[in-house]
Order: sequence, then C-alpha cells, then structure tokens
Amino acid sequence: MGCHDVRPLLPARVEELSPLDARVRAEHLAGCSRCAAEAAAYTRLVHALAAMAVLEAEPVAGTLERALAVIDRRRALMTDPRLAVFAAGSAGALVATLMVARALRRRRRAPQPARPVPRLAALAALAAPALAHAK
Amino acid sequence: MEVDRELVEAAQAGDRWALEELVRQTHRSVYTCALRLVGNPDDAADVTQDVYLRVVRKLGGFRHEASFSTWLNRVTTNVAMSSLKRRTRRIAMEGAVVPVETRDTSPDPAERAEAVALARRLERIVAELPEGQRQVLVLRDVYGQSTDEVASAMGLTPGAVKVRLFRARERLKTQLEAVEGGQVVALAGRRRALGRRS
Repeated sequence: MGCHDVRPLLPARVEELSPLDARVRAEHLAGCSRCAAEAAAYTRLVHALAAMAVLEAEPVAGTLERALAVIDRRRALMTDPRLAVFAAGSAGALVATLMVARALRRRRRAPQPARPVPRLAALAALAAPALAHAK
Repeated sequence: MEVDRELVEAAQAGDRWALEELVRQTHRSVYTCALRLVGNPDDAADVTQDVYLRVVRKLGGFRHEASFSTWLNRVTTNVAMSSLKRRTRRIAMEGAVVPVETRDTSPDPAERAEAVALARRLERIVAELPEGQRQVLVLRDVYGQSTDEVASAMGLTPGAVKVRLFRARERLKTQLEAVEGGQVVALAGRRRALGRRS
C-alpha cells in the first residue's frame, strides 16, 4: 500500500477503522515518516478538540431563569393537584404562545419575500377598463 | 463538568434546592453544547429550556449507569437534534456559534490561558464547518460520544458518520494549518493530558 491509499485512513482513530484497515495503516506508518507525522497531527487535533469540552459559553440573558421556571412550574403541578387541573387547561395555551412567539421571532429574522399583489385588487385593476367602457 | 452524585440523588428524591442547584451548575454546559450543535444563541437558549423540561420528566429514570454529565449531554443532543429537525430554515452560520465569553473550568490555573486560547481558536474554525460535519465532530470529538451514538442521534448510519467525521477532521486540520502554520496542532500535543476525559 502506498501513501495515496493510506491517506484517507489517516484522520481516523484506530477504533474507527476495521481491523484490516488499522493493520494496513499501522504497517505503512511504521515505514513512512511523512504519513506518520500526518497521523500524529490528527491525533493531536483530536486531543485539542476534547479540550473544548471544558470551556463553557456565557448563555444569553434569561437562559438560567427560563430553566429554573420550568422546574418551578413542574414542582407546582406535583405538589398541588388543583393546580394540575388548572395547568392542564393552560398548558395548551402556553405551548401555543411559545410556538407563536418562536415563529414570529424567526419570521422577523428571515428575509422578507416580495409582497404578492392582493388578488381582489389585481382583479379590480384588470376589470377597470371594461367597467369604464360599460358605463 | 462532573456533578456530585449526592446532589443528583437529592434532586431525584424531590429536593427542590438540589434540583435548582443542578440547573445552576449545569446550565452553561448544556447551553454550550446546544450552541455548538444548533449554531445560534437564541435557539440554544430554547433548547436549554427544553432540555430541563425533559430532565425534570426523566430524572427519576436516571440509574447512574453513566455519569450524570454524560446522560445530560445525551439529553441535550437529542433535544437539539429534534429542534433542528423541526426547523424549516437554515441557520446563518457566520459568527453565530462562537462562544465569545468562554469560562474555563480547568482546575489548573497554569494551563488555563493556553488552553482557553487554543480552544477559542479551534471553536471559531469548528463553527465554520458545514453543519452536518460540525455536528458529528462536536458530538464525537468534543463530547466523546461513540460513532454509534452519534449515528443514532443524527439518524445516520455509522458509516455515514465516519465519512462526515473524517472530512471534518481533514478540513479542520487544513484550516488550522492555513491560519497558524500548524502551530496550533503542535501546541495541542503538549496539552494532551487536558484533553483526556475523567
């Protein structure tokens, strides 16, 4: 096997290769310093990616409060059966409100399509000469 | 991040303080994972809320067979993927996914500055990967899920996951070398210990 054949196997971790591919790659790397260096670079890259897991982004404002509110609502339902009955009625409204709010926010962010001409107005415009002629 | 088992068990037993503390301790990592997957801060906040909705429902069934963090990452992955499937529009990727203010949870202050700098540079380049490649790379290489788990979460075959994964690593390595002349990859070699999960 030459470098050209082994190159597609270099980005893989050993456990991601079939036993045959892993053996072919290992044998090639043992005798090819260039491909060995390339494989080592991929290994280091994978380790560096794993280091990203310890970093955390700062959430947008209100994220924690929204998460805590979820717990509060759930707990209220569990501790007060009357609230459960009330909540069953309002849950649909809440879900609908959230869906509408998300849809509106996404619509605001999405590019606006060209506004179509209202059908009635278009028909009136087409019919105007004929109506004038009839008068 | 690792969460104290006693805290999880208290939350499972219905301790309100424990549940809130669990949320306080984990919401940043949940949000970050969601952000890396969905690529948009507002959508990541929505996913975070939905994750805790699911956590409250499913926490009783958590059996400590895996760590709580692993379980929470899987829940986040599933919620984020469901969110992406529901979404009808494509995300505008430019500049959206990079966590500008990252907090390093590494306990060793000596490693902190270097690790944060490297991870931020990686984060930016990862954010510019095509969505499908970015998601498999994040789940497999950042969060350590198996190829089969990634395939299951994304509705792909393991073979398709590997194809995307290898392409993502190739592209990432090429772009890193183009930007920094290979220095980041060399630097990363010295940080191997940091990359290993407990």
